[in-house]
Amino acid sequence: MKAIFQENIQKGNVILPELDAHKVCEAFGIDCPPTKLVTTREACVEAGNQMGYPVVIKIFSKQIIHKSDAGGVIVGIQNAEALSESYDCMMQTVAERCPDAIIEGVVIQKMMSKGIEVVVGALKNEQFGPVIMFGMGGIYIEVFKDVAFRLAPITVDEAKRMIEETKIYELLKGVRGEKASDIDALAAMLVNVGKLIATHDEIREIDFNPIICYPDGCVAVDARFVLNTQ
Amino acid sequence: MNEASINAFFTPRGVAIIGASARQGSPSNQILKYSKEMSLTGNVFPVNPTAKEIEGLKCYGSLLEIPETVDLVVISVGASKALNVAYEIKERREAVGDAGAVAIVSAGFKELGTEEAIALQDEMIATIKSCGARVIGPNCQGVVDIYNGINTTFSVPPVTLKGGLTIISQSGAFATSYLRWAKDHKLVGINKFVTLGNMADVDVTETLAFMADDERTKVIAMYLEGTTDARKLMDVAKSVTSKKPIVAIKAGRTAAGSNVAHSHTASIAGDDNIYDGAFKQVGIIRANTIAEFYHTGRVFDKMPIPKGNRICILTVVGGPSTICVDALTETGEAQLAHFSDELVTSVQAVLSGNANVGNPDGYIDMTASITPVMHKDALALLMADDSIDGIIFITTPPGFIGSEDLAKAIEEGYNAVPEEKRKPLFSVLMAGNAVGDCRVMLEEKGFPTFEYPDEAARVMINMIRYSNYLKHNGVDERM
Repeated sequence: MKAIFQENIQKGNVILPELDAHKVCEAFGIDCPPTKLVTTREACVEAGNQMGYPVVIKIFSKQIIHKSDAGGVIVGIQNAEALSESYDCMMQTVAERCPDAIIEGVVIQKMMSKGIEVVVGALKNEQFGPVIMFGMGGIYIEVFKDVAFRLAPITVDEAKRMIEETKIYELLKGVRGEKASDIDALAAMLVNVGKLIATHDEIREIDFNPIICYPDGCVAVDARFVLNTQ
Repeated sequence: MNEASINAFFTPRGVAIIGASARQGSPSNQILKYSKEMSLTGNVFPVNPTAKEIEGLKCYGSLLEIPETVDLVVISVGASKALNVAYEIKERREAVGDAGAVAIVSAGFKELGTEEAIALQDEMIATIKSCGARVIGPNCQGVVDIYNGINTTFSVPPVTLKGGLTIISQSGAFATSYLRWAKDHKLVGINKFVTLGNMADVDVTETLAFMADDERTKVIAMYLEGTTDARKLMDVAKSVTSKKPIVAIKAGRTAAGSNVAHSHTASIAGDDNIYDGAFKQVGIIRANTIAEFYHTGRVFDKMPIPKGNRICILTVVGGPSTICVDALTETGEAQLAHFSDELVTSVQAVLSGNANVGNPDGYIDMTASITPVMHKDALALLMADDSIDGIIFITTPPGFIGSEDLAKAIEEGYNAVPEEKRKPLFSVLMAGNAVGDCRVMLEEKGFPTFEYPDEAARVMINMIRYSNYLKHNGVDERM
């Protein structure tokens, strides 16, 4: 695990690339959406069939920073036929818009269905050391500030108390006949993220926003690791 | 030389006041007066080269001239003269072996932020520490130990009551205002009082750790501005709260995080948010207002910790009690107790026919047709019922019941059960100074009183929080 961080720090990466982030998550028992790097249309379709639709595909190239501008992101692909077409279409567009880029492949990822969106974060604080956060997820977290903090690492019981402290907990319990989300899985994820930040000097911040919670588990859709590059 | 223990601040065999002044109305005169007045041994030694005698005590030209043992040195001279005192402390400690505790009341050091003032503080502290002496301050009011008759402050009155509350404060004025607030109605009895000032040596964490094992300290009230190692503070606090409650008020609630954020997390992780979470994690009860801080600190000294969160409201006034119920149930941490049919029947039997018992559940309005006996009997029944974890009694004492009779009825009702069945009882007397004598009587009997019912509710919630913390962390509830 250390090697992944060290390698990226040496390269000067502030943010851990997605596929590396997924490897870290897997090692720490944090579920991410099924994701695969493929290099041919056939492999892409096979991967799509395996993970199930809908899927999203993203171009994988170090030279392309703004993937959407380059035509390197296609979302909402519903079946194998559409996936095959999308693959060709993307390759063509990207080649036109970024003729000098070296294309290493295409990342295909399963699009997650709707659920309760929460955020799990962690950081190193000058005074407190490793700290973990839980709360309402999405892009408005700075507005609602429905979050709870603890010093990491934490126990499962403490993780549950953190969850119960927030307003989003009411939604996780299920309102108006909705099924309750898997709070045990969420608490386990909090414990694991706490372990991760507390045991790795290489990590400065962790941001899983959103994590989508379902009645049978929760999935970190966007796993962001900010590295300690100093 | 060996490093002195912090204990020397609270149990000195002799106290030297460097810079003691004969000028009435000056802090350096007041410190000497209070020290002298409170001292159990009479071993208080003013030091001032320009006087032979101050306040009836023999005055010495320097610390080195005092022939008796001096464990605590209080420095109350101008900043420019303090360095010289530091060298005298070193000399004395190396020659005689005492002078292990130094409280520096003088200001004009690091808090000014100038290079010169910082250098002065650094040299002064390094000199004192080099011989193993310990320093509280500078820029503080030092320490008080009511039981041991120690008072280095110029504002804690020697008449302050004895009790189990220990105050640790990064602000001298904040701490002394607590005691002044409490004085008229005898709301607080204290054990120790430590103001930390610039924390050049002894800091809030070390003081907290010391109080964990201090037997007379039953509860700690802490005013916190910040510390360089908040992690360590929390680690220590965790071990303290398993033994006794800590109530904290922290300044800087609205300060935003200073990090340049790369993530959502960092953008909202202000230090205060983290303090808030860390306090919960280690069982520190955070007060949001000064009144809540003062009351929460003192109720833990006077009342047992509730076993659960089921609270009964016993009242003679309708409207204010509804406000109390609102405040009590607002956070979801407390609930109104459930009355059994047997309890309802037995309470009805001791009250007037107009009384409302149990509507809503957990609520009793005795109405204005009341006698002291009714108070006593109703309280006794509520105290004996194990499905009630705490009681808030709300009244505007009517003219036809004397203060003494009311106070006695409350005491007898409360004491009707054996000690192990006791639970917190808060008395809200809603008539301001008109019931001042009744408040004092109750406080003297050990019953905390309040002016406002919503405040009493919030303080009850704070007690419940601590009770919950102990349960969650496997610490047995203590009476």
